[in-house]
Amino acid sequence: MENPALILWIPIIAVSILSILKMINKGGPNGKPFIRIEEVEENE
Amino acid sequence: MNKHLALRSGNPALQSSTFRQHLASASEGTMTLSGTVNKTGIALTLLIISAGYTWGNPAMHGMVIPAIIIGVVLAFTTIFKPTLGYITVPAYAIAQGICLGVISMIFNNMYPGIVVQAVFLTFGTLGALLLAYKSGLIQATENFKLGIAAATGGIAILYLINFVMGFFGSGIGIISSNNNMGILFSGFVVVIAALNLVLDFDFIEEGAEMGAPKYMEWYGAFGLLVTLIWLYLEILRLLAKLQSRR
Repeated sequence: MENPALILWIPIIAVSILSILKMINKGGPNGKPFIRIEEVEENE
Repeated sequence: MNKHLALRSGNPALQSSTFRQHLASASEGTMTLSGTVNKTGIALTLLIISAGYTWGNPAMHGMVIPAIIIGVVLAFTTIFKPTLGYITVPAYAIAQGICLGVISMIFNNMYPGIVVQAVFLTFGTLGALLLAYKSGLIQATENFKLGIAAATGGIAILYLINFVMGFFGSGIGIISSNNNMGILFSGFVVVIAALNLVLDFDFIEEGAEMGAPKYMEWYGAFGLLVTLIWLYLEILRLLAKLQSRR
């Protein structure tokens, strides 16, 4: 490989993506979702 | 809070009992996460400035041996007298910066560009593991802590044996070798060093939760700094091994 340092970025990126996915799907340790989508009533 | 009450970290400076010894003396405010982050930032800035200055000034290169000795003295002073952390931790960061400046310059002369890669990889690992810790992807369970502490201790013993063997013109080949086993070993050490960061985050969080005294913020910053320096040096070694095979 031209630049061997690129291999070392793979686990860092993988851990980051998995963490973000976990935050989005299940929320943080306090159980609150990282992103919440809910319907908004008119004039709310 | 129960999950924070056992063995915390493979880093000997960061143990759960550390807080218990200092809880009674809390009178001038308590340890906070943001305070520890700020102090870690100050220590890292001092280290980077010191390393950069040493790199650019060949006259400073003779200071490496005194800086190592002073660094060891300051590290033990911080461990045994955490109330002096506001002096010893910044001074430790400057002393380590002198050592890292020279080590980085030597590696960069051998393999140009390697230091920038190692710095980015170190901070990339820090960011990724902070995300993993906050998301709960990696949790500091009892087994996890024991495993990392045992692995860190094993690596420390191996390095100590290698250091002693060095006086007799010998050494453990796997530590410095660039063959497949040598690279696997370095990769393993990098992983263990990185996972020590999770235990450091947990230690700092525990201190804030337990209401440890304000000066323990410097102590938490010191633990994180020690792990980051170790991680950077191991990444540098791994990159050098990989580059030497090209």
